[in-house]
Amino acid sequence: MLTCDKYHMPTSIPEALAIWQDAAEGSRLVAGATDILPWAREGRAGDVNLPAMIDLSRVAELQGYKVANGRVHLGANVVYQDFLTDETLRQHLPCMPFCSIWFADDQIRAQATLVGNLVNASPAADGTPPMLALNAELEIVRLDGKALKRRTIALSDFVKGPGKTDLQPDEIVTAVICDSLPGYGGSFQKVGQRRSLVISSACAVACIKMAEDDETVEDIRLALGGVGPVPVRLDDIEMLLRGKRITADLITQASAMPAGRVASRTRQEYRRTVVKGFIEAAILDALIECGVPLPNAAEVENAHV
Amino acid sequence: MSEFELEMTVNGKPIHRRAKPHQRLLDFIRDDLNLTGTKEGCGAGECGTCSVFVDGKLIKSCLMPVAKAQGVQIETIEGLAPHGSDLTTVQKAFHKTGASQCGYCIPGMVMAATSALRENPDAGIEEIKERLGGNICRCTGYTKIFEAVEIARDVIAGKLSSTVLDADGAGKSYIGNNVRRLDAPSKVAGKLRYAGDMVMPGMLHMQVLRSPHAHALVKSINTSAAEALPGVACVVTAADVPGEDGFGVFVHDQPVMADDRVRYVGEAVAAVAADDVLTAKRALELIELEYEEIPAVFDVEEAMKKGAPVIHDYAAGNLVKHIPIRKGDIEKGFAEADLIVEQAYDTQPVEHAYLEPEAGIAFVDHDDVVTVISPSQNITHHRHMLAKIINKPINKVRFIMSPVGGGFGGKEDMIYQGILALATMKAGQPVRLVFTREESIISTAKRHPAQIKYKMGIKNDGRITAVSFEMISDGGAYGLSTEGVMRKAAILSCGPYDIPNVQIDTYGVYTNNTPSGAFRTFGAMQSQFATESHMDICAEKLGLDPFEFRRINMMRDGAVTHTMQTLGSVSIGRVLDAAEKASRWEKGPVGVRGSERKDVGGDDTRPPCTLGARFRKEEKNGRQEVA
Amino acid sequence: MQRMMRGRGVAASWYGIARTATIDRAGAWAELDDGGTAKIVTGVTEIGEGILTLLSQVAAEELGIKPEEVTIGDNDTARSPEAAHAGATRQTYMIGNSVALACRDARSRLDKELASHWDVDQDSIHAFDGEIWSEGSNLKMTMEEAVDVCKKRGVVPVGSGSFTAHGTGLDPVDGSGSPWQAYVFGCQVAEVAVDTVTGEVQVLGIWASHDVGRAINPRGVEGQIEGGVVQGLGQALMEDYQLEKGHTKTHGFAKYILPTSLDIPQINTTIVEDPDPKSPLGAKGIGEPALVPTAPAIMNAIYDAVGVRITSLPATPEKVLAALAAKAKSASGTMQAAE
Repeated sequence: MLTCDKYHMPTSIPEALAIWQDAAEGSRLVAGATDILPWAREGRAGDVNLPAMIDLSRVAELQGYKVANGRVHLGANVVYQDFLTDETLRQHLPCMPFCSIWFADDQIRAQATLVGNLVNASPAADGTPPMLALNAELEIVRLDGKALKRRTIALSDFVKGPGKTDLQPDEIVTAVICDSLPGYGGSFQKVGQRRSLVISSACAVACIKMAEDDETVEDIRLALGGVGPVPVRLDDIEMLLRGKRITADLITQASAMPAGRVASRTRQEYRRTVVKGFIEAAILDALIECGVPLPNAAEVENAHV
Repeated sequence: MSEFELEMTVNGKPIHRRAKPHQRLLDFIRDDLNLTGTKEGCGAGECGTCSVFVDGKLIKSCLMPVAKAQGVQIETIEGLAPHGSDLTTVQKAFHKTGASQCGYCIPGMVMAATSALRENPDAGIEEIKERLGGNICRCTGYTKIFEAVEIARDVIAGKLSSTVLDADGAGKSYIGNNVRRLDAPSKVAGKLRYAGDMVMPGMLHMQVLRSPHAHALVKSINTSAAEALPGVACVVTAADVPGEDGFGVFVHDQPVMADDRVRYVGEAVAAVAADDVLTAKRALELIELEYEEIPAVFDVEEAMKKGAPVIHDYAAGNLVKHIPIRKGDIEKGFAEADLIVEQAYDTQPVEHAYLEPEAGIAFVDHDDVVTVISPSQNITHHRHMLAKIINKPINKVRFIMSPVGGGFGGKEDMIYQGILALATMKAGQPVRLVFTREESIISTAKRHPAQIKYKMGIKNDGRITAVSFEMISDGGAYGLSTEGVMRKAAILSCGPYDIPNVQIDTYGVYTNNTPSGAFRTFGAMQSQFATESHMDICAEKLGLDPFEFRRINMMRDGAVTHTMQTLGSVSIGRVLDAAEKASRWEKGPVGVRGSERKDVGGDDTRPPCTLGARFRKEEKNGRQEVA
Repeated sequence: MQRMMRGRGVAASWYGIARTATIDRAGAWAELDDGGTAKIVTGVTEIGEGILTLLSQVAAEELGIKPEEVTIGDNDTARSPEAAHAGATRQTYMIGNSVALACRDARSRLDKELASHWDVDQDSIHAFDGEIWSEGSNLKMTMEEAVDVCKKRGVVPVGSGSFTAHGTGLDPVDGSGSPWQAYVFGCQVAEVAVDTVTGEVQVLGIWASHDVGRAINPRGVEGQIEGGVVQGLGQALMEDYQLEKGHTKTHGFAKYILPTSLDIPQINTTIVEDPDPKSPLGAKGIGEPALVPTAPAIMNAIYDAVGVRITSLPATPEKVLAALAAKAKSASGTMQAAE
């Protein structure tokens, strides 16, 4: 059971930072709060009393998103459901609807924020692999005297390990900024013990842009989650495929590459086998979204499961 | 903790109250506003029994600190069809199709269905399923719920007349008539109160201290600091039992609370009744308990070995029950066989996972009758046992069975009612206990796991000549229903087949694991899982169609069962025919036929689930694998 | 091998109705009440199976009124007769029949008075849906009027019923005995798709045929079968209470995985009726038997689809994939040996 002595709902960044700076040790920032309440239960943290909870969900500056200069600036309060319902986000972040539909359920998606998912740094976080694939950076702010001091850090540097990030004690993440990829086909693969509301055993994301010939890979982004302490970007496979004419053989070659990345302490053999199939499926699904013919018509059957 | 002013609108009414910072929206709705249609099934956002609309968006109210709801518009199940108004179309459709069974998930499910059709009035069935994906139902198998949502959608859209929601009518008889469930209106409207929804004036709240050890001696319990905590009415332990302690369905080997020894993790050791849950929780921390851990055993084979730790003094070999069945001459049967097939099987412990966690409220009435209201599946037996435990005549013990939010056998054990009775007798006030989901999972019975050795002798013509069947089951720390489960597993083990020679042995064994108990099928699922898997293995070896192999061996009218009972009419042949015909079964020997079969992928199957029905483009959504 | 492989499997089952290897019993009280309504008192309440509706149907049929005119007073050891427990697939059989008997008792009181009032043979009196009449005459009135007539003659039309199921204990040595007087049989076919990349099994169709004796409420029977199938599916594929030295590793529903709406096959039910000759209603039961054949039917379907035999439940994606890998390995080993 989670109890707290004080519950703050600041409405501005300076107010939030001031409260956060003064908050007693052990206080927590929350946004959607969908993770912290289940955490403070038997079998996880047990009964927890927090000196204060600082709820950022009404901080005006953290709301909404902007698209500019090839990047999408997602305020920290953007929730998962937005990636399903917002036409602009769907267009600019083509892999995110697929990721979101696998994330929890409609009700939790209405509350849970992408930034909260990133900051929790779970190895199985669904949101991290797509954001890695989209070259995401986090925008972080703290108080320096009375002035706001901002910094940005690449997501790949931010996530240090399970539950570990580069976030410093008095800092707040205000946004995640990632590539805008209109015209790309996106896809997301995930397996758990069932289909709805389940933790990933493994997941994979792909975003592909095809050249005008519909056969050459102009750009490709791939990342894996759930396979080690932190999600990983698959730069080597991207390198292999970028600029190449896509063929069934090439995809097979690419699929054989990531097994070595599996570094989970448990269920390693399973995850190795799965990710091999996932890369192939992620690429094929993304190609379908690009609207190009698949290298081998028979493989249509393989996609979208 | 600093209270704060909270303003919101709930079901159209402005609310202005003081709230506590640790309250969840769910707590506030239920405890402060007394709107108990919103349920708590898991407290962790996994089940959806607490779904409510916040500013028009459906959320899980167990995941929302109430402070977040400052200034918002809340709509609960009670708000869908306000007092005095007609049920909504969705609610009527749930009533019509029989979409509610125990009803505990149903308010949340109705909310999810309502949300699905508000978000997309034109949603297809795959999208509807996705939108219900955060709400668990343990009773219905969801099928009637899907039917209800589709009907509601079509009625709302005007594609179906609202008369489809009406009762079918008397016809010629009320037997064989799809009379709509009489309890459904109260369930779809969130009006039915389960034990955890009930309140009484002066009611205390109970919390239970549970063993962290699998096997330990309780050296001492000191409750004085807990009793001294302001707001605590009483602390109860085994020392408060005035009569003969012990309950169980077949053997009364489990004390109301552990006395000198704990035998599994989660076993109740002491309980506090206090003014509120938080005070009771704090008091638990003040109970001083000294344990001495002793060797424990977690594996049935280890438990059956000589020298294993003994869990109950009366059962030196840790055997709860052995059920033997013998028919014919097993040696002769195997000698006659052309082929002998052996295989081991095992099944896992399974949680009942009824959506309603255990709850109860107890009081002593004006005539000194000790009364317990709880979702007990066996009030008759519970009153017998409690009368002995509290040393009162039967007519001074009263059990009332509250609406059961799912049972499946899991609520046959008197696991907490005794604690409530002791506390209300001691405190002189009504006492309520509501389990958390985690508490329900660690402390209550599971389906017996089974390790099965199966040996079948068959003739080349497909006749079974002999079966030997051995099943060892982990009964856990207490007997509960283990004896009966072993009996039923044994009697039914070899299936509806006419087998001249059988040797069946089932063993229930004590360990220091979570107790196993009654669970829908009472052992028959485990034993017949082995039989029916084995039937296919044997059919393959004989090159026979699985239906055919079963028909060759099935019992016929007047068959003599494995326990030598002569049956009258036997319908197995009829049900085999019915399933074969309905499924358009393609005859052929068991083996890997995979997608070669022509009978797969018919209109009477669903398509494989591909998430994203709401945004996938039509041509892709329609694409399915070619069988 | 294609990524998605389909297969089908079948399993049969049998089950005994009511308590095992013992005499089972249940009692009920009935009263035809003012306004042509009725009170039924029994010792159990709803656990979700639909028993209250079913009892109202039985009472309505036996008394000649409408189900919604029946009030069930239930669930209280101090106020109602013994019904014993809500389990063992005994509610319809035990409580249903005891309510039928109690209602017949009450009706016979009423009919006797009415026969005298109308001066007809008691056997000629029939009632249905709120009306009561003497067959072969034009004598007819509403049940409300009939109750009024009965009471004015000084008789309250009450009744009681006790129903017994005669099971016998098992011999301690050879297990011989007659544990139940009624048995039911069932059969289910499962169709699955196995994802050979992830090992995930989706159950796409179930065809369930079950003998229930007599279906009092066919839709309710379907509901029990559908619920049983999905519990069986959960046990077959995902549910697993895990312990490590007595400590659970599956504390809540995030770790203890249950089927959700996305895991549900299309369930096609066929109800078979082989009436029980030993009870007034002829109905047997369906609560528990519904889930017995589901898990083995699914395991047999997985074998049909991809040739791996899962003998240890549940068939998780990991287990299925490991079995597929082992099968591929042994197949390649066999091929090498053949060379």
